[in-house]
Amino acid sequence: MQDSPILSALSVGKAVSGPEGTLTLLEAATVNVKAGESVAITGPSGSGKSTLLGLLAGLDVPSSGEILLQGSAFSSLDEDQRAARRGALCGFVFQSFHLVQDLTALENVMLPLELQGQRNAEPAAREWLGKVGLGARLGHFPGQLSGGEQQRVALARAFVVQPKLLFADEPTGSLDHANGEHIADLLFEMNRATGTALVLVTHDPALAARCDRQLRLEAGRLHD
Amino acid sequence: MTELSRLMLRPWRDSAFRILALALLVASLALTSVVLLRAELDARFNARGAEMLGGHLVLDGSRAPEPAQREIFSDLAHSELIKFQSVVVHNEQVLLVSVKAVDQHWPLLGEVLLSDQRFGGTQSSVQHGPEAGEVWVADQLLDRIGLQVGDVLPLGQSSLRISAMLVREPDQGGGFYSMNPRVLMNRSDLDRTGILAPGSRYGYDVAMLTGNPEAISEQLTPTLRPDQEIENVDDTLNRSMGPLKQLTLWVSLGVMLITVLCGAAIYLTTGLRVARRATMAALLRTFGASRQTIIRRLLGHELLAVLPVVLIGIGCGGLIAVSARNALGWEGALAAGASEWLLVLLGPLTLFAAFALPRMSALAAVPALQVLNRQDHQSLRRSGIELAAALIGPMAVAAIVTGSIQDLLLVLLLLASLGVLLPALVWPLLVALDKRSKRWSVASRIAVRRLSRRRTTTLPLMAALTLAMAILALAGQSGTGLLSEWQRKLPANAPNHFILNLFAEDQQVLEQWQQQHGAIANPLYPIVRGRLTLINDVPVREAVTKENDRADRALNRDLALTEEGRLPESNLVRDGQWHGERRGEVSVEAELADSLGLKAGDHLTFVTSRGELQATVTSIREVDWESFAPNFYFMFSPGAFVDQDATWLTSFWLPEGDGRRVAELMSALPHITLLDVNAILERAQGIVTQASQATAVLAGLLVSAALLVLVAALLATADQRRADQGLLRALGARQALLRKVNWLEFVALGLGAAIGATLIVLAAMAPLGILLFKGQLLWSWWQCLPLLTGAGVALLGGLIGRRVAAGYRPSM
Repeated sequence: MQDSPILSALSVGKAVSGPEGTLTLLEAATVNVKAGESVAITGPSGSGKSTLLGLLAGLDVPSSGEILLQGSAFSSLDEDQRAARRGALCGFVFQSFHLVQDLTALENVMLPLELQGQRNAEPAAREWLGKVGLGARLGHFPGQLSGGEQQRVALARAFVVQPKLLFADEPTGSLDHANGEHIADLLFEMNRATGTALVLVTHDPALAARCDRQLRLEAGRLHD
Repeated sequence: MTELSRLMLRPWRDSAFRILALALLVASLALTSVVLLRAELDARFNARGAEMLGGHLVLDGSRAPEPAQREIFSDLAHSELIKFQSVVVHNEQVLLVSVKAVDQHWPLLGEVLLSDQRFGGTQSSVQHGPEAGEVWVADQLLDRIGLQVGDVLPLGQSSLRISAMLVREPDQGGGFYSMNPRVLMNRSDLDRTGILAPGSRYGYDVAMLTGNPEAISEQLTPTLRPDQEIENVDDTLNRSMGPLKQLTLWVSLGVMLITVLCGAAIYLTTGLRVARRATMAALLRTFGASRQTIIRRLLGHELLAVLPVVLIGIGCGGLIAVSARNALGWEGALAAGASEWLLVLLGPLTLFAAFALPRMSALAAVPALQVLNRQDHQSLRRSGIELAAALIGPMAVAAIVTGSIQDLLLVLLLLASLGVLLPALVWPLLVALDKRSKRWSVASRIAVRRLSRRRTTTLPLMAALTLAMAILALAGQSGTGLLSEWQRKLPANAPNHFILNLFAEDQQVLEQWQQQHGAIANPLYPIVRGRLTLINDVPVREAVTKENDRADRALNRDLALTEEGRLPESNLVRDGQWHGERRGEVSVEAELADSLGLKAGDHLTFVTSRGELQATVTSIREVDWESFAPNFYFMFSPGAFVDQDATWLTSFWLPEGDGRRVAELMSALPHITLLDVNAILERAQGIVTQASQATAVLAGLLVSAALLVLVAALLATADQRRADQGLLRALGARQALLRKVNWLEFVALGLGAAIGATLIVLAAMAPLGILLFKGQLLWSWWQCLPLLTGAGVALLGGLIGRRVAAGYRPSM
């Protein structure tokens, strides 16, 4: 584990204006994630967990503060530059899987590599699907897979780009206990094997407890 | 807020419902405006047709009706007229006249236009016939026998005072081929003239007014004698007014196409809305609701929410129809009756129910768990009932709204089947592209996969785009085709005067006079009067077995024969070859040729004042009798009249001005017959103007409906597009890539639809040609419109892609 953080959020805040005036979603949050480290963000519903994750992943821009990725500016980049860095360095696992329904399992896993411009994405995608135990279901469409299987495809898609950083938003939230356990095992196993840093948003204390560190959000304020 | 208003407002929170509501709004608006405008047109032209006929129904025969027939029409307002030919002799001039003796009820409809002198007199309109002891006569009669208004006209054994010159009768119809000048007299004077004796030939017409011509016609039909027939407004309009028939068909076609387009828009948007309601259906099922309850609840609430939208659409459509009426200067109460209003209300609701009902019922059949687990519910979309409803729904509404679908069935079937079949044919192509796309750029791969993997989105979208493009092109093509045909038939300077009995030496005088007064001259035709006597050397009476009215008329009188090397514009050779400059040949009008059994190669002999005239039939011509141009049954090749006594016939257009110009010509050439057809021409041009305006309004509505389908198609897929872009963005795709994917997707969609639409337009040319253009195929730039629209769709896709890519912020 290296000491220099791969991801730094420096006093990051997010406010939105609504019909009842300005609403603060997140207040001056500072987070550092080191390479290979796993960090859980927990908190009650509406506390700002997904807002923070969106900001850290560069899917949204903060109203104040700054986010650095691998020590260089990230949140101040434009949309395209952030997308390019995200594609090269980050992976995602969503609660509701977010697989492309019209692509097969194999094509879904190939997609992020293709977006990076790789011409021959298929061998890597096959390998990762094999690792998550879906080597026999390459040609299936998401609609033909169970929830647990879909999330395994999503894991393969996240790891196939060999990310330095993986963002996971309630990865077991849509699954039953057994499937949830299996996905969590896979996630931490691959996290360890690849040395990827993990930022995990969860309600589940057991899942949070498996991370190296836990951060708690309450009403937009971050507590260690 | 009441429970009812809550139920009505709740669906508006869903964007899919708002899109559906927009589609229904425009569907109601388009259907209402077009149905109301059609009712206006029908009413106006029916009134005009009834005026031309002289009533809503006319019983004509060669003697008075039977007592049993009188019983049928005695309670109706009716007028009895007697028509016959007679000879007027004055100052040693003999003139054949066409007499109409009218009773005190004539005219049942319209007005008689009179003038108090031949040239430059004061005109007045009246709604009665001449008093006893008086006659009203046509201008030619005054010219030919040298009488004036106020003089006495000897008719048979009596003398009647000419109290006015007849400018126009309301029931003179659209034709002006009866060359004998009109004498209008009071029936009570008829016996005094002693003209009609037992055995005399005359026509006895009973014109009647009735609210239900069909019923009276049905009652009269079994009582008809062989010499009697019933004429109704439709006969009059169809026979004498070509543009009206074309307009009626075009309006019906327009109504049908608008229905199909609205159906397509509702189909696309209903699918989206129903998919959103899937969760509600599943929840209701988990709570133990029966299928019927689910359908009733979902569909019932939906119907409740769409009803105000449909009513607003009807209101807007009504406003458009009223504005169009005002713009066209049409007055009077709205012509639409209860049935039309019911139709405009039920039309959109039927379309909605046809698409929503099968989908909702399919929704209620899907296991709740499948929906709640977000599993793909393909079974919802592959329902055979749904496809049947998609085809039958709009066709049924089109049939009801059009009134009769018989004439349009072929076009409708063609559209429906090609609209569905063509995208299905495009499908294998897309699948093949998908397989070959592995080596393409990532943008191309994603774009092709989006289309080829989403059969249930791509096919309806492509079908709707194909239909919209095809209908745009068809509407433009046939609308402008009709306008230019009417314009060609009745240009602004169509001849408004005809001259007969012109001699060769008169031509220079006429030419000078025409130049002096800015008249536009038309070709001169030599006329020889002759009677057909032999067909292939067999006397015509023996040769013609298939005798009918037209043949009878052709055989029993001298016909105006002409020679001409150039085929007139209003004629079309049906069989054989036009003779051009070849000698000894003759071309025959098609209907007469059919009734006489004539064909190319037959040898004809005519008797003329100078002996015989012989020629071989080398062509059979279709003649447009509605054109304001001289037309002939027999046209000989040049040189045929070398030894004949020929006079000349011509026509010309004279700008508006006073009657002294014509008086000058008549005094220079007193022996000619001059027919002033301004009144008839104005009536025909009035009809064409209104038909043209109605065509333009309808074309505008069609274009709007087609654009609606395009918008609905794009809106219906907008959510999916946003979700796709979001995911790609989260996975690291750049804006340029997103834009390119969108653009390529729309290029493929636009191009596929454009090719399909072009094929439909080409395939529809034959049935449309038969329906509207007497079998002629209409080639025009409109055939390229689908390709241009396809390019437009691609461009739009590019713009949307730019907007979506720029505006989207992916969320977790």
